[in-house]
Amino acid sequence: MMELLEVAGLNKHFGGVHAVKDVSFALPAGSITGVLGPNGAGKTTMFNLLTGFIRADSGSVRFDGCSLAGLAPHAIVNRGVARTFQLARPFTGMSVLENVQVACLAPRVRHRGKPRERANVLLAQVGLGERAQVEVDVLPYGDLRRLEIARALATSPKLLLLDEPFAGLGVTEVGPLAEVIRALHRSEGLTILIIEHKLREFMQLVRNVIAMDFGEVIAVGAPAEIVQNPRVIEAYLGTAPIDA
Amino acid sequence: MKIDWLAAVLALAALAAIPLVFTSSYIIGVMTVAVCYGMWAASWDFMSGLTGRDNFGHSLFIGAGAYTAGFLNVEFGANPWWSLPAAPVIAVLFSLLMGFPTLRLRGPYFALAMLSAATVMQNLTIIFSVYTGGQDGLNGLFPILDSTLAYYYLTLAFLAASAVLLKALANSSWGVILRAIRGDEAACQAAGINVTFYKIVSLAISAAIAGLGGALYAHYQLQVGPDLFAVVLSINIIIMVYVGGIGSIYGPIAGAIFLNVLTETLRGLSEYRLWVYTLVLMLILFFLPQGIMAPLWQRLRARLA
Repeated sequence: MMELLEVAGLNKHFGGVHAVKDVSFALPAGSITGVLGPNGAGKTTMFNLLTGFIRADSGSVRFDGCSLAGLAPHAIVNRGVARTFQLARPFTGMSVLENVQVACLAPRVRHRGKPRERANVLLAQVGLGERAQVEVDVLPYGDLRRLEIARALATSPKLLLLDEPFAGLGVTEVGPLAEVIRALHRSEGLTILIIEHKLREFMQLVRNVIAMDFGEVIAVGAPAEIVQNPRVIEAYLGTAPIDA
Repeated sequence: MKIDWLAAVLALAALAAIPLVFTSSYIIGVMTVAVCYGMWAASWDFMSGLTGRDNFGHSLFIGAGAYTAGFLNVEFGANPWWSLPAAPVIAVLFSLLMGFPTLRLRGPYFALAMLSAATVMQNLTIIFSVYTGGQDGLNGLFPILDSTLAYYYLTLAFLAASAVLLKALANSSWGVILRAIRGDEAACQAAGINVTFYKIVSLAISAAIAGLGGALYAHYQLQVGPDLFAVVLSINIIIMVYVGGIGSIYGPIAGAIFLNVLTETLRGLSEYRLWVYTLVLMLILFFLPQGIMAPLWQRLRARLA
């Protein structure tokens, strides 16, 4: 399989904190991969580096054969890398439909049909079709997560980065959303990278896991292997006292 | 949609009829000034009302436009009609100068830079009094039209054209993007939108109309002075926008005309005038934080439909 995203030697310091340390990995086109790690492991920082919201100190990110170094966030989106945020960030004071319409106006997709019509199709795709005219301010959290995904999809990405898509969702909401993500992966051949904590759903969703701790990649492998990996267990549960 | 157009045409007809009903040059003068304020408030609202990036120095563009008219007319003896294309061009230059460094940043930099720039320009007009006439300003501009009534209609036509342009932009996908910037700028970037570009161009459009209004004002007063750069002018415009209903374009125009007429009406109260004016403002903003004009129309519209 061809590599869609190649990350090599990515580094980011915040003052004395080495938030992302020599991170390297590759995502084959059409893959669905998870990023696992305890809070503060550098997962979101890595997303911010990949999407241009933060500049890396060093390292390279190649997407679809081109370097993404130094590009502004909107320019990266227009190359085909879309993201969602850990906390849903709707455009307040606008309707659900208008929220998605904004992303349909990105230069990459502007000329693919009427923004309103495309937005309606996308909303139906994530199961928000009936809420199109509702103001986002009154939308429940679960629906905001779906809206985030619809907005990211509107830019017609090749690579979709989901930052904790299940965060804050009730038990009954997780399953259907995982199904939406799975359907996107299957039907559109979308390459997906997901940060998540909800282990069970997550492990069933992804084929491959990148485990991080203290800014470093500590293990890469299939979900079943990763949960057995001693370094991953250590990162989550800590080490046993030496003389216990 | 149709009902909005009908209301707009009726409002325009009413504005056009006022000097025919009250045939006094005083009323024509008040209305001409009110119409200029309408252009300033609408242009402020287009940039700041829609994107939420407050501009505390709109007078920078007004002053730039007015002084452009002043220089062209008084120093170079140009035909006064030249002021109308020249003023927006100079105002746009100022907006680009301000927008490029400050609108890339998030935070209060744009608001503060606008405030300072207007104040700096006001002081410069006093320091370089050899060229600008200092406190006295530039006097003896030529009128664009000999009849004050005809000039009022010219100004009104420019207001109507500006309002149609700004409202059409605000209702288009451009407006959707500006409101999204107000909602969440980072999320807007994540939606693939070059937010800096949209903010800078919107500021330039806002500046062009403010500058044009400045030139029209200058050719009514036949004089320009440092007060056209004053902070208090910018603040007054913001108050008019809030009273009218922020983000609606037409509301701020109505607010500007309403408050201008109100100040003139209160002239009879002499020393109590500011006291009453301020009280009215406080009551409006306290009880109707969404403004009066735009919400009033929305209600009326719902009832008519």
